[in-house]
Amino acid sequence: MLDFLQAVSDGVLFGATYALIGIGFTLVFGVMHKINMAYAAASIGAAYSGLLLLEVMAGAPPAAVFACAFLAGGLLGWVVYLACFHFIPLSHPLATLMSTVGMLLLIDEVVVHATDGMPQNYPAMFDDVMLHAGEFTLRGDLLLVFGVCVAAMACLLALLYRTRLGLATRAVSQQPIAAQLCGIQVAQVNAITFVITGLLGGLAGAMIGASVGTLSPLLSGPLTVKGLVVTVIGGLGSIPGAIVAGLLVGGFENVFQLYRGVTERDLYVMLLLFAFLVFRPGGIFAPRGGRD
Amino acid sequence: MDFYFGLIQLIGVHTLLGLSAYIVLLTGQVSLAQAAFYAIGAYVSGMLTVLAEWHIVPALAVGGLAGAAAACAVGFPALRVKGLMLVIATLAFGEGVRIFFFNFDYQIAKGDIKVGPLGGEGFRQIRFFPENGWTTFDVMLFIWLFVVLVMALLWWFDRSRYGAVLRAVGEDEVAAQSVGVNLTAVKVSAMTVGGAIAGIAGCLYAHYTTHIEHASFNVLVATFAIAYPIVGGLQSVFGTLAAVVFVQGFLVEGLRELGDWRNLLFGALIVLAMNLRPQGLFWRRGA
Amino acid sequence: MLELKGVTRHFGGVRAVDGLDLLVPEGCIFGLIGPNGSGKSTTVNLITGLFPLTAGTILFRGERLDDLPTHRRLQKGIARTFQNIRLFGRLTVWQNLWVAQNSPEDRARRSFFARWLGGRRRARDEIAHLLEFSGLAHKADEFAANLSFGEQRRLELARALAARPRLLLLDEPAAGMNSEEIGQLRERILALRARGITILLIEHVMELVMGVTDRIAVLNFGQKIAEGSPAEIQADPVVRKAYLGGGAT
Repeated sequence: MLDFLQAVSDGVLFGATYALIGIGFTLVFGVMHKINMAYAAASIGAAYSGLLLLEVMAGAPPAAVFACAFLAGGLLGWVVYLACFHFIPLSHPLATLMSTVGMLLLIDEVVVHATDGMPQNYPAMFDDVMLHAGEFTLRGDLLLVFGVCVAAMACLLALLYRTRLGLATRAVSQQPIAAQLCGIQVAQVNAITFVITGLLGGLAGAMIGASVGTLSPLLSGPLTVKGLVVTVIGGLGSIPGAIVAGLLVGGFENVFQLYRGVTERDLYVMLLLFAFLVFRPGGIFAPRGGRD
Repeated sequence: MDFYFGLIQLIGVHTLLGLSAYIVLLTGQVSLAQAAFYAIGAYVSGMLTVLAEWHIVPALAVGGLAGAAAACAVGFPALRVKGLMLVIATLAFGEGVRIFFFNFDYQIAKGDIKVGPLGGEGFRQIRFFPENGWTTFDVMLFIWLFVVLVMALLWWFDRSRYGAVLRAVGEDEVAAQSVGVNLTAVKVSAMTVGGAIAGIAGCLYAHYTTHIEHASFNVLVATFAIAYPIVGGLQSVFGTLAAVVFVQGFLVEGLRELGDWRNLLFGALIVLAMNLRPQGLFWRRGA
Repeated sequence: MLELKGVTRHFGGVRAVDGLDLLVPEGCIFGLIGPNGSGKSTTVNLITGLFPLTAGTILFRGERLDDLPTHRRLQKGIARTFQNIRLFGRLTVWQNLWVAQNSPEDRARRSFFARWLGGRRRARDEIAHLLEFSGLAHKADEFAANLSFGEQRRLELARALAARPRLLLLDEPAAGMNSEEIGQLRERILALRARGITILLIEHVMELVMGVTDRIAVLNFGQKIAEGSPAEIQADPVVRKAYLGGGAT
């Protein structure tokens, strides 16, 4: 029982990173009705960029590395937008799907090239802190990961629901043509959405690096799959859904890792997804069916 | 010389994989489950020739049927969801199948060695071709016999009313329904044919490499399956063939001198190609 | 021929169609008019089964349609055109008609194999006839997306006819047409009736509706507010009020 609780809590804390990645997919889907397959790879790439800081400034504090990853994520988000979406007409959904896949391969290869394919150590904070409650422990680094992710989500929600930019973003996601007629520059809103999701992704990548302890380009494939699973379980386009689904998937997979081992773990995550597709295809917070 | 035969074998198998996604893409569905049908065909036929000591031809037929059956079974529930949800559902199915084979052990003793699939170690010693004295050249001809057959079949589909109906469903599902097209039947049939083609491709792949493992059927392979017809354009089956030759022949083998850099170039060229020719590289006239 | 009994469809809280009763007799041209948003197009979508009914029942030749999927209703003999043209743009004109050959007659006449995998030669005669009827014979191998607006409207009508309907639902077929084209459309509609096809015409263009229909029903806010001959409808004060007060087009 204690093992179970421990697995759930560690998983849920780590699940915050899945939630951030899920939010990234879901925001782009909400605004453009497209999937950015390069997103998880870009997030890992941004986390690697954080390590560049350690190259130029040995002994930089972990927080600075995280900040660097955060900013690099925003930049990468913009690059992905320009390379994969800006010049391709909306009427070719397959083309943008493929261009982001190309970008995924490109980012992975750049990382492999720059690091000779070797996993890199990633700095962490509070990794020596352990909170004990009887035999139950909370790892300090995981708590930090969770806290940072929650703070990022809060900032995002404030941005979306308290600012004019957020209003424009939501307008574009609901009625792109009407929004354009109201004078909103749709292309600009799209670009900004990519920068925002990129920033979140960079942070998520850095937090994954911090909690795992190392970064490897092999992370981007599974993270893409997990992020998409979270997006669907949460409901395409739903931010609260992505948050809940991210924590759920994190806890769920850690429990199965405990009982069934790491090789079988993801099989159960896929079964969870299928259960949702069959019984609740709209996701956790399925929106009520409107006209059409 | 064997190097070139090997490359031509690879191009043949990848063409089949691309064609299995081509027919599904015609109906407007993006399936990332093709690698799973490919895996099922590979494991099923490999087990038949190695464990049950069947001849390759019946094993290939059963591998194709297994791929088709899996695709048909996935088709009914998966096609209830549309567009991007289908992409993710099929992706998850593909990963599920891969993880299944990652954990799948079924070995029997044969002489003094054990043969059969062994989890993460993979399935080694699928030696039907060498044991029966087929040369690389024979194997290449055998693979291309199926490439030609499948291309001819799909080309025929494209000229028939079935092909027009597939494309009509891809263009506008509501209009297609309204002129009397049974969407479920059409989509599941396309998925089933695609599954059969992927199953055959998997069988050929397993036997020419003699060693398969779960990683040979990962998301990247599924992505390549849809990449070939998209990059080549959906105008005809030849676009897919041209894209495979371009990617595997030119980018992967032709640029071998560039070493690691060709991998970088590969992603960048796909991005560039989609920006310049969003309908596919080899799409000519049309609306 | 077609009978709607208490047909209702809600979207969230909006009652798009609310308790509609309608009886379309065989062989007539029946008009369905009403201001924008009065539920006309929703009615068509309910009859063809694109939306499920919230309540009520639909009978076609005495048979309940309620649970049949869209393509089965077509096979019973109900074809339609769309208000905003929905052709298969990247198929040729010829292929657009070929795809639509799903009627029971076509199914009975040819084997499964010939129907699905046969080449275009096998279907040539009927399609040539349809192309002739809609004046598109010279465009047979053109992509549908490259046709002019008027040609696209004609092709959509021809595509509906390729399914050999007994009942044809025309959803604003004259929208965007000039008066010469409307005259031609009128001739075509009358020619179809002469062939024994019953027509449900949804239209804003009064010049067409009043000229060809035998009987008209008027919808407003999802409910039928009047029904009668064209002359009776034109004289009806309730109808005038709905149009003038509800934003006529």
